[in-house]
Amino acid sequence: MLLRQTRLIAVLVFWFAAGQLAVAESPLSKVSFSRDVRPILARHCFACHGPDETKRKAKLRLDVREDAFAKHDDVFAFVPRSLENSNVYERVTSEDPQERMPPGGADKRLKPEEIATLKAWIESGADWQGHWAFEKPVKAVLPNGDDPAWSVSAIDRFVLDRLRREKLNHAPQADKRTLARRVSLDLTGLPPTPESLARFIDDKSPKAYEKYVDGLLASPAFGERWARVWLDLARYADTKGYEKDLKRNIWRYRDWLISALNSDLPYDQFTRDQLAGDLVPNHTPDQLLATAFHRNTLTNDEGGTDDEEFRIAAVKDRVDTTGQVWMGLTIGCAKCHSHKYDPISQREYYQFYGFFNQTADNDRYDDSPSEVLPDATQRKRLETLASDLKKREGELIAETPERLAAFAKWQNKFTGETTWKAAKPLKTEAASKSAMKQLDDGSTLVSGTGPASEQYRLTFAPVSAKALRLETIPDASLPKKGTGRSINDGNFVLSGIKLEGKTRDGKTVAIKFASAEADFAQDNYPVAHVLANPDIKKKGWAISPQLTELHQAVFRLEKPLTAADVTELTLTLDHQFEYSYPGFSIGRFRISFSEVENAPVGKPVPSAIRTILAIAPEKRTPEQRAQLYKQFAMEASETASIRAEISRIKGEISAMETSVRTPIARELPADKKRVTRIHNRGNFLDLGDTVEVAAPVAFGAFPAGMAKNRLGVAAWLVSAENPLTARVAVNRYWAQFFGRGLVETQEDFGSQGQPPSHPELLDWLAVDFRESGWSLKRLCKTIVMSETYRQSSRATAEQIKRDTHNVLLGRGPRFRLDAETLRDQALAVSGLLSAKMYGPSVMPFQPDGIWKSTYNADTWTTSAGEDRHRRGIYTFIKRTSPYPQMLTLDAPSRELCTVRRITTNTPLQALVTLNDPVFVEAAQALARRVVKDGGKSPEDRIALALRLALAREADPREVKALKALYERRLETLHKDNDAATKLATQPIGPLPQGWDASELASFTNVCNVILNLDEFLTRN
Amino acid sequence: MFDHEYLKAVTRRTFFGQAGMGLGAIALASMAAAERPARANDESNRDPLAPRTPPLKARAKHVIYLHMAGSPSQLDLFDDKPELRKHNGKPCPAELLKGKRFAFISGVPNMLGSPFKFAKHGQAGTELSQLWTHLPSVIDDVALIKSMQTDQFNHAPAQLYLHTGTSQFGGASLGAWATYGLGSENRDLPGFIVLTSGGKTPDAGKSVWGSGFLPSVFQGVQCRSQGDPVLFLSNPAGMDRAARRDTLDTLKLLNDWQADAIGDPETITRIAQYELAFRMQIAAPEVMDISREPKHILDLYGAKPGFVPESDAAADPRALYKGTDASFANNCLLARRLVQAGVRFVQLYDWGWDHHGVSPGEDIVNTLPIKVQQVDRALTALIKDLKQQGLFDETLIVWGGEFGRTPMAQNSKSQPFMGRDHHPYAFSMMMAGGGIKGGQTLGKTDDIGYYPTEDAMDVRDLQATILHLLGIDPWKQTFAYQGLQQRLIGVEGKAKIPKQLLA
Repeated sequence: MLLRQTRLIAVLVFWFAAGQLAVAESPLSKVSFSRDVRPILARHCFACHGPDETKRKAKLRLDVREDAFAKHDDVFAFVPRSLENSNVYERVTSEDPQERMPPGGADKRLKPEEIATLKAWIESGADWQGHWAFEKPVKAVLPNGDDPAWSVSAIDRFVLDRLRREKLNHAPQADKRTLARRVSLDLTGLPPTPESLARFIDDKSPKAYEKYVDGLLASPAFGERWARVWLDLARYADTKGYEKDLKRNIWRYRDWLISALNSDLPYDQFTRDQLAGDLVPNHTPDQLLATAFHRNTLTNDEGGTDDEEFRIAAVKDRVDTTGQVWMGLTIGCAKCHSHKYDPISQREYYQFYGFFNQTADNDRYDDSPSEVLPDATQRKRLETLASDLKKREGELIAETPERLAAFAKWQNKFTGETTWKAAKPLKTEAASKSAMKQLDDGSTLVSGTGPASEQYRLTFAPVSAKALRLETIPDASLPKKGTGRSINDGNFVLSGIKLEGKTRDGKTVAIKFASAEADFAQDNYPVAHVLANPDIKKKGWAISPQLTELHQAVFRLEKPLTAADVTELTLTLDHQFEYSYPGFSIGRFRISFSEVENAPVGKPVPSAIRTILAIAPEKRTPEQRAQLYKQFAMEASETASIRAEISRIKGEISAMETSVRTPIARELPADKKRVTRIHNRGNFLDLGDTVEVAAPVAFGAFPAGMAKNRLGVAAWLVSAENPLTARVAVNRYWAQFFGRGLVETQEDFGSQGQPPSHPELLDWLAVDFRESGWSLKRLCKTIVMSETYRQSSRATAEQIKRDTHNVLLGRGPRFRLDAETLRDQALAVSGLLSAKMYGPSVMPFQPDGIWKSTYNADTWTTSAGEDRHRRGIYTFIKRTSPYPQMLTLDAPSRELCTVRRITTNTPLQALVTLNDPVFVEAAQALARRVVKDGGKSPEDRIALALRLALAREADPREVKALKALYERRLETLHKDNDAATKLATQPIGPLPQGWDASELASFTNVCNVILNLDEFLTRN
Repeated sequence: MFDHEYLKAVTRRTFFGQAGMGLGAIALASMAAAERPARANDESNRDPLAPRTPPLKARAKHVIYLHMAGSPSQLDLFDDKPELRKHNGKPCPAELLKGKRFAFISGVPNMLGSPFKFAKHGQAGTELSQLWTHLPSVIDDVALIKSMQTDQFNHAPAQLYLHTGTSQFGGASLGAWATYGLGSENRDLPGFIVLTSGGKTPDAGKSVWGSGFLPSVFQGVQCRSQGDPVLFLSNPAGMDRAARRDTLDTLKLLNDWQADAIGDPETITRIAQYELAFRMQIAAPEVMDISREPKHILDLYGAKPGFVPESDAAADPRALYKGTDASFANNCLLARRLVQAGVRFVQLYDWGWDHHGVSPGEDIVNTLPIKVQQVDRALTALIKDLKQQGLFDETLIVWGGEFGRTPMAQNSKSQPFMGRDHHPYAFSMMMAGGGIKGGQTLGKTDDIGYYPTEDAMDVRDLQATILHLLGIDPWKQTFAYQGLQQRLIGVEGKAKIPKQLLA
């Protein structure tokens, strides 16, 4: 009930806050169904008489025209111009609590104002329109303006018309410097440089502003600034989320986005590539990369979770995000039940979900499917490396007389290879029940995902032996074609080994090992651990980085074993290693025994080579000989330097490929398509009817001839039939320039959202945007060229009183800068900002102890050099622990799509800009800059600092006040060299030779004030 | 969406004080009355955290919520099951496994009887395991709930469900809802403070104290035991308090000129927030400094000022846990100091209670007693101390994990450790203090502790009870977001407040 009351008051708020003046003037003269009546019905009636068929009472719908005017049980809900025959009116005004609607206590009654509105609407003919946002936008006729300067832009005509109707005037144009800073921050997220500002100020031509704007639109910083907005929608982050929140490489998507925005990729293609780039015939690598948009969903690596559950959670997130981003709809409401307020049934939700339910990803640890998607520079480098590699590999197998001589000698070495006898197990068993397959070469191959811990038990016929050999063998079926089953790299860690014999009297005796040797061991993972393990969860024998090579470990017995003493041998290989990902057990291995004293631990011989060696040299085929020669070349000391080079090249290729391997969308093949069924009450375990894919019918027809897949969805979104996509996009851009959208609820264009303040303007911009080819840069330019945008933001008390929130746009927009821009601006004015674009995310300064995720050993390591001073968009985002400075300044944690950041004003924000070392360093750098460039007098230096920070000339009284502070501080710091040195150098670093610490510290203090000025934090 | 409008009014466009009350302002104010409790006075109009009068009779003014992340075993601490001991080591009946999901258990596990003895304590005869040695002395002040239930069985989703009302990310946490509804009494400190121990943050990360869809001003502020108690609280090196004051005076002077020139009420708010930050710089370190407490109080808790456990730096701290670790005790004492200073909601997270029995740090026999040792004395001291300070009746204390643990052993034949898997169907929690009737045990479970048999209490009920005791109607306090009237107990509103719990 309170819920209703709230809405009721909320309606009033709308009247008073948004349409206050019009309504106050003559509340009943111009009732609009969309603006005034539908919200009342939506708030009071739709919950029981709306789109949700399961909650519908008396089979009555009041959200569709046909039903609202039809006869129900002999009465009509509404009859135009007849209050007495309009049953709804009778029921809402009834004094009988049994009769009155909505049911419930007196607090649910409609307010007298609402009743008056209904009455006026019925009496004036009950004109009905659908919800405004679900009707296609059309360009209205431009109002005639009475102000020539405000008649050029369509925006100004609509805005001025509205102001005139409210008997208000617009504000004068802002001064050139204010405008320069405003439009620079808006278009590029950076303040103007002194040079660009001077050029603009000095340019007296009528085109000066337009030239300045064009320069900003062409700046590479444009893409960085607008990517910030889109990344909130894309819920982009550098980790996978949930408990472990491990790293994810998806920064190439961010780079794609920046460059797509800079090249002004039209919004229809921008949409298509992100939603369905993989389905575009002959798609480019960039189009594939764009599909990472929907791979920014969370992946749950927590042990014991059901991958299908989290795959489904990701698909639902994609559906909800698509609805939010393109259509401004909260379609996620319909996953548990039909939407209560907007025309989306639960069935339609799952029909739409069906489009997104066909990608191959499945909450997997490695985020597959993924692709190596280098940028142009990286691609070039990879090509060079590949050709170098080919050349070196050719050199490796080149035959020279010296090498051929060595080759002959090398072959002789193998004649003694009879020391070891491979033993075929009689029985194999894995604790995890993974399948174990015997291969022809006597080895055993284990399949299936490696579990957290694993034990193999192998039974052998009795042998006599003095040593046991374990050969570990890489296999193409194992992760990364490695040797172990660890899901991320194909490594293993052998924790323990146990050999037991069954004696003739049926007893089991332990056959002890005396020592262990291996041909190779990973650093800190020696084979000795296998026999005496200091920490079974953390230690053992492992072989990284040689994961794709053969290795062997030899375990010598304490006492010789005689076959006659036992009836059966049992060998246990134990794997208990724990890590952030599981599976560290051996994937393929072979066991041999030797009766020879001190049988050698050799460089292992691959079985194929062994086979060739067994053939007499003259009977070998040329291929066999070549294979043998290659094996020789791989081992010969003569080729050591070439092999080192090959391994270096391979290392570089692999590092680069890993870093640009990006999760992407890939459609399942036709025979593997999933069946989509309704999830009853949203529960994926409680399945209902099977549904066919379809787009919700209320928002335009699916384009004829388009395939029923994501590509079709993209086409449907950007078709002229879709009433929402263009409106939502232009509104989002508008909000970035004006601090609020024409529809304030950017995230909700449905019937629960707010109606637009300037509906004709919104529609005009939307249609213009679509008709002119979906150019976002053109849209930006249209907005910033308007007089509406260029107004001064100075507000009179009268304006504040009459239009508090500047809904009517009678003055310029003024709001606090967002988290990234605040950081970028401080770095820019102080001269610290790095212009470097693109690349992996970076880690600027962050206080110690922020990252403490469970089961995740990742650490925050402050980036070196200019990477500390990159734009905020490149800062590493860990979802469970976002960068604290930005979190405090209202940036979201990027777990879900965020359409609108709500700006707050808190003491914790003051602490950030006052004390965060990032901002302190900026103050220090600015101090150094003005001491160097600002002339000799403190006044001149302070004036320069103000000019750099605020892009305007300093006011003498400001300079005076700051100089007074400077002098007071200088006096104190003069006497305290320690404090002066700290304030001037921590964290930025030592002062240049000959600079005075107290002077610089005092200027740092002054700059700390300047970087905290309301004017600096705000865009005027 | 209208709520956003309102919040913008109070957090951003706060013009009431300056420009007089326009029509819009009146409408907003009356809307606030419907949505949230009234402000205590006009002066606080521009401050979203200003104290508000609760709409219902408040039984508690503050909450100290002690969350044991990982989830302690109710079967080894509170809910004795002789039947389990009888069947110890025997396979679990198949009907109990049918259709159930566990995180790690697979196959047919064996039943696991508790290795610990239980005894009745206090006038109420509340049954507790032998691991509790201090708690019995205050058990008559505690309501023990044995019939808790949740619908999540993995840590992160279960913690989110408990603290934010949804197992997905994006919900607003208990403390955020409480400060959104009631503001905070001490305006020199954040209204919602979070303290962690155990060497890790909870599995679901900082989202469990996030503000979700509520404005960020309501999110929990994590106070730290090392470094600045609040991030960026310290002035830059070389700038003392006098210099900061001088700096802020100059800043205010220039900002006042700006306010005069532009006329944006937001500038006025900003000036006030800088002053608040300045006061917080003194107030936060003071309240966070437990060395100001007398020795007998430190001893009561087992607190050690400046204590940094060895385990803190470890990748897996659990193997290094010691019973003498004072981190949790320090946080309990801090919680009392914060509540005394007027902080609305203090949330403690103690990590390391996930006793699966697959490594030394997850062993019920050896490690669980260490964890209990870390909290037993401190928790008991907290109750005693709040009583002697006269704060017990106005402070609600809640203690528990995000779910329970299975009556079955987790299958791991190769390990010498004892452990249990996650169990969402039944677990135990404790509540005490403001509005709670102590000296009782609510709810019962079946012979093996699998399901509640009496007075089942869902996580939703717990959430409703906490808000109710604070004087907030859990059904009525809502926030419009994504087309729904969001609330802590979920949009369906399926929750009840168990009357037996209330004093």
